Amino acid sequence: MGFPLLTLIIFMPAAGAAVLMFLRSDDAVRWTALSVAVLDLALCIAMVANFDTTTHEMQFTETHPWVPALGITYALGIDGISALFVFLTALLACICVLASWVAIDSKVKEFMISLLAMQALMLGVFCALDLFLFYVCWEAMLIPMYLIIGVWGGDGRIYAAFKFFLYTLAGSLLFLVGVIVLYFHGGETFDIRALMAQDLPFPVQSFLFFSFLIAFAVKVPMVPVHTWLPDAHVQAPTAGSIILAGVLLKMGAYGFLRFSLPMLPEASVHYSTLMLALSALAIVYGGLLALAQDDLKKLVAYSSISHMGFVTLGIFALNLRGLEGGILQMFNHGVTTGALFLFVGLIYERTHTRSIADYGGLMKAAPVYTTFLALFTLSSMALPGTNSFVGELLVLSGGFAANLAVGAAAVLGALLGAAYLLGMYRKVALGPASVGARFKIRDVNAREITAILPLAVFVLWVGLYPKPFLNIIDASVKHLLAQVHGKGSGQ
Amino acid sequence: MTAAELFQSIIASLPEIVVVTGACILLILGQFVRKGQEHLLVWASVAVVLIAALGTLALASEVRPAYTGMFIADRFAVFFKLVFYLATVLTFLLSQRYADIEGIGSCEYYVLLLFTLSGMMIMASATDLLSIYVGLELTVLCTYVLTGFLRQQRRSNEAALKYVILGAVSTGIFLYGVSLIYGLTGTTQLDGMAAAVAGNPLDPGLLLAVVFIVAGLVFKVGAVPFHMWLPDVYEGAPTTITAFMSVGPKAAGFAVVLRVFLNPLVAASDVWIVVAVIAVLTMALGSFVALVQDNFKRLLAYSSISHAGFALFGVVAGGADGIASVMLYLLIYSFMNLGIFATVIMMRNGDFSGEVIEDYAGFAKFHPGLALLMLLYLFSLAGIPPTAGFFAKFYVLVALVERGFVMLAVIAVLLSVVAAYFYIRIVMVIYMREPERAFDPALTPLVRATLAFTAAGTIGIGLFPAWFLRLAQHSVFGG
Repeated sequence: MGFPLLTLIIFMPAAGAAVLMFLRSDDAVRWTALSVAVLDLALCIAMVANFDTTTHEMQFTETHPWVPALGITYALGIDGISALFVFLTALLACICVLASWVAIDSKVKEFMISLLAMQALMLGVFCALDLFLFYVCWEAMLIPMYLIIGVWGGDGRIYAAFKFFLYTLAGSLLFLVGVIVLYFHGGETFDIRALMAQDLPFPVQSFLFFSFLIAFAVKVPMVPVHTWLPDAHVQAPTAGSIILAGVLLKMGAYGFLRFSLPMLPEASVHYSTLMLALSALAIVYGGLLALAQDDLKKLVAYSSISHMGFVTLGIFALNLRGLEGGILQMFNHGVTTGALFLFVGLIYERTHTRSIADYGGLMKAAPVYTTFLALFTLSSMALPGTNSFVGELLVLSGGFAANLAVGAAAVLGALLGAAYLLGMYRKVALGPASVGARFKIRDVNAREITAILPLAVFVLWVGLYPKPFLNIIDASVKHLLAQVHGKGSGQ
Repeated sequence: MTAAELFQSIIASLPEIVVVTGACILLILGQFVRKGQEHLLVWASVAVVLIAALGTLALASEVRPAYTGMFIADRFAVFFKLVFYLATVLTFLLSQRYADIEGIGSCEYYVLLLFTLSGMMIMASATDLLSIYVGLELTVLCTYVLTGFLRQQRRSNEAALKYVILGAVSTGIFLYGVSLIYGLTGTTQLDGMAAAVAGNPLDPGLLLAVVFIVAGLVFKVGAVPFHMWLPDVYEGAPTTITAFMSVGPKAAGFAVVLRVFLNPLVAASDVWIVVAVIAVLTMALGSFVALVQDNFKRLLAYSSISHAGFALFGVVAGGADGIASVMLYLLIYSFMNLGIFATVIMMRNGDFSGEVIEDYAGFAKFHPGLALLMLLYLFSLAGIPPTAGFFAKFYVLVALVERGFVMLAVIAVLLSVVAAYFYIRIVMVIYMREPERAFDPALTPLVRATLAFTAAGTIGIGLFPAWFLRLAQHSVFGG
């Protein structure tokens, strides 16, 4: 067992949060939080640089006994799929700190502590190789997120925080029962790798599939359990929205990839049509809802539902292109939607309104802002040359291969996406400058550009040269497919 | 009984003897303690408990049956006694300042707590329905008086009276069940009963007797349908006594429940169905009624009903894991519940009662550290990891699923979601409201020590449950 890199990556933010408790001045808190987040990102880059893309085996593994009597271990490790999200989490954490620099002006210390605690737990979720450890991190996230929404959110924050908490808790606890059932059927172990090797009878797989589905569907969120998302997104502070959209939603999809598919292959194949139909429903329904929004943040929130529909569609197409596209699209959505929420937050800080009707002609007042906004808007609607194009194209070709009707619905959703995003951009950035008269708009400053630039880089990098990203996940995805079809082919 | 046996019996029950003797001595010496020196009483009482604890640990190495089958000092009893010591010592620490403020700092207060402790210890060790009865009565008689200790307050008196009347009825029911058992089997010893009915466990008369005994015990742990006394008593009693009762006597009740229900006689009579129904109803009632409470103590009363329901799920599961899960649950519950009660007790200062949830509005703004502790206790009570409360629930669920009760596990977790709502509502009031007043918590060093200790337990057992889990598993009787 070598250097405990993953432990270091996870505990760095946690230690940072502990240090913050002893700091007094707000500026010291901000700078410390930023340095911790950047340092953690540097570690993640080191991790990705040393990552071996030729194998599907877990890497950087660590195992220590935790509760031996119940077979619980502290086991960490990453494969290509989780590596991508560990990196994304660390990246977005830095951006969150920057985004909250002035937006959060009360209880700064508590906010940064929550943010770093959140980061540690999210990294724990993606690195865990023990189901119990995974669950602990998964559910513990509710505490900081509840506070982030409830303390620093908008006017309806308390309602939104409760709704978020209870929805997620209900889903998670049913998942917990499933986890325990799996524990007893899988030979009394929580080791994810050992559980993947189990061959469970179909009725058990079915039960577990739905028990897991509830938890993951709430997180993704899939229609019809999506209703917490608009509330939580709209009320959360900018950093909260970025985390929610960028990382939290990915965890649901990650759950499907890490547990449902490899551990319950027969059930996954058997219920894939249902999952495809739900995904298509989310794509179209989310798109229609987004089309009707006047609130900028709500629009981006509903567009998330639609975009996450593409992700689950790709996953449950259960073929190589679909899966790779789905996973890439998870990363893309984190970058692009994270950026869009950041943009909504930036403009809201200046004008204190999110209503699209209040805006117009921003291009003149804030040219840099609107240029970048154009880039991310186009990325969100999957224009060729941007990251989402690559992802959505893979998902669509996988989706058509799996089910023609679902593929067609997804195309319709993509069209809707173009409609509401272009409409939003036209009303906000172009046209007569209605805003200038009412508000004094300042263009983005250096700190804000620092937050935007890395995201813009990834939009273009993935869009123009996606090979390195696909390389990272390739071996793991192929292995995953072999697991699904190797065991599931009997059905 | 020969002299040697008597000597062995005395050795086995030495901790109980220490506590009773200490209480008697304190009762006499306490009369000479002058006003303003009440802290001497606290230290003397703590010393008595610590001596008893040392005795218990020294005797823990082997199983010692005593008093011709009435009493046993086994690891199961040791585990529960440690929980009792913990609850009692922390109550003493919390009481010093609170008793001053309420003007109840006489030596009787401490002496009665020590007698309650001895009653609970007897309950944990009793292996005969009659010795169970003695322990039970000693415990509740003392708590009746302690409940009414705020003599000037009407609701304290009312609570005590309610408690006495309902308690007497339930004791009567329990005794009636005991007499039926004696009539049918010719013995009141738990082991003897099992042997006597090995042939036909489903005799209707026995079933009736079991139902009566169940009813009597259900009253003590505050489960549906004999829970009505609990909110009133918890609200009316001095808060320190409420804290104590929610942990100590409740755990003692569970010790008896485990010994009696998991006795072969009861295990053979399908009584688990009754217990399962009681568990579901108890948890549902506690969780739903707590949603609408405004009084903090009353809310914690319903929360304690709901937790009793969850622990009863462990009794339903039975088996070694089931028993161990209940024991671990009670240990963890002691830490987090005493912790949250410590914060309520600390708020009582001057004219400020701090009993209404709204009183805590914006508490986090002035006292971020204390608010963080409350956050910890509340999320632990709600069962959110990485706190100990999560592990307690997790282990009960493991025991349930192990026995195939998946549906019960699903019901249990869904009701936990309901319960989570009222805990996070308090967090909301603490963190998300603007403060309306300044706070002046009565933070004595002793209260600080209690908070530190309970917080360490709440987070420590959550992060490193292995040792405590092993302790509980080793302490299961018969295993």
